[in-house]
Amino acid sequence: MTNKNHTEVVIIGGGIVGCAIAYYVAKSGIDCVLIEKDDIASGTSSRCDGNVTIVDKDPGFDSLMSLKSQELTVGLSDKLELGFEYRALGSLLVCENDTELEAAKNWVDIQNAAGLDFKLLDRADLRAESPYFADDIPGGLECRTDSLINPYLFCYSLIDKAKQYGLKVYTQSEVTSITKKDDFTIETTNGQFTAKKVVNAAGVWAPFIGNMLDLDIPIIPRKGHIIVGARQKPVMMRNVMEFGYLMNKFGRDRIVDPVTEKHGVALVLEPTESQNFLLGSSREFVGYNGKIDINVVQTMAKRAMRFYPKMNDFTMIRTYTGFRPWTADHLPIVSEVDSIPGFFIAAGHEGDGISLAAVTGKLIEELIRGVSDTIVPTNPLRFDRFTKVPVS
Amino acid sequence: MDQTIICRCEEVSLQDIQNTAITYNCSAREVKLRTRAGMGYCGGRTCRPAVDAVLEAVTGEKAGHDIPMKVQPPVRPVSLAILGGKMR
Repeated sequence: MTNKNHTEVVIIGGGIVGCAIAYYVAKSGIDCVLIEKDDIASGTSSRCDGNVTIVDKDPGFDSLMSLKSQELTVGLSDKLELGFEYRALGSLLVCENDTELEAAKNWVDIQNAAGLDFKLLDRADLRAESPYFADDIPGGLECRTDSLINPYLFCYSLIDKAKQYGLKVYTQSEVTSITKKDDFTIETTNGQFTAKKVVNAAGVWAPFIGNMLDLDIPIIPRKGHIIVGARQKPVMMRNVMEFGYLMNKFGRDRIVDPVTEKHGVALVLEPTESQNFLLGSSREFVGYNGKIDINVVQTMAKRAMRFYPKMNDFTMIRTYTGFRPWTADHLPIVSEVDSIPGFFIAAGHEGDGISLAAVTGKLIEELIRGVSDTIVPTNPLRFDRFTKVPVS
Repeated sequence: MDQTIICRCEEVSLQDIQNTAITYNCSAREVKLRTRAGMGYCGGRTCRPAVDAVLEAVTGEKAGHDIPMKVQPPVRPVSLAILGGKMR
């Protein structure tokens, strides 16, 4: 058993990040195995929306990393055989009032200065995007390089190709312990594995894997709700977020009513390939309780009607929740752990896992191979940025 | 027979479900996500027994309450205004 299940790299987690890592690692010719406690894309990666965006990223490293990931994702839409509903349409941020529009102008200038393709939109532009917008929405902005994908199909597509490169996948295999001597020994509910290197890509569950090696990984679940609207009349073609989404995400001050604030609600509307549309969003720290909170759903529905009052009779068919893996500085951990050589963490992408999966997969592959000139700088993503003085 | 529509909302035939299960040798949940069977307007209220039976036949997985088709609130379609508490 032990010999049969020995490999160079074990990847823990079959979400979008684990799938992207598996693709790049297998493609580079390294022997690898992916272990998933449930099923491929059964956690956050099937309980989210499908934005590959820069529009909501802080200028600088955050947007650079997203841009690199976008470029890789565009390339993958050609390279992978199974389609994943890739749609390069650009995306919009809309403003509720003139104060936000002023901030949006500033945001466009900053992003343009950084060389990104942003443009300010006025009332008439928004009217052309959708006849359903409220009349008093003063404007917004667009980022023309943004795109949409179907997250779980992207996972399936990456895994399908990775298997062609030699990846082995074990689902329904929950990791129960990890020990390290020369090699890592990983015990699961579906047998034992040994590996030279281990990648913890367990997303919001990464801290549990870390605990097995006495590592404290500071990732906390940040719950979100989504409402699914039925296909009826087309609302619009492109993805929309309200400007307040940025404020919520980065914890900045925002002028809204207390309930909207409490539930962390900000409008997101994503048209899907199936011609349904997704309405979001909420952000709450309430542990791992995935139950639908109808009060939060109500706040989200109200928020949607603030921006799209003419959609009040549109039919909603489903709601669901997911857990974003939050970190304190809103950047993921993509890093080897110095105190445990050979142990890598790729988790903590909060709501950007879909956007950043490709670049994360590529970077982990480079770190595993010891490449020095990596696709993005590694310092901002290091694990030890959260620990002050290493204990020897 | 294999042209029979199992999921009317998403127009998924018996053949679509069988071919997907055979091609990808995957779980019932994955068949559902790949074909969209049971993910349409009715939320499975019409097709659920049929989809469950077909998935069990092709994947061998017994339908539990969670997999393959969990009933998600609001269970039956309602308007945005009702969800938002603006009517009744």
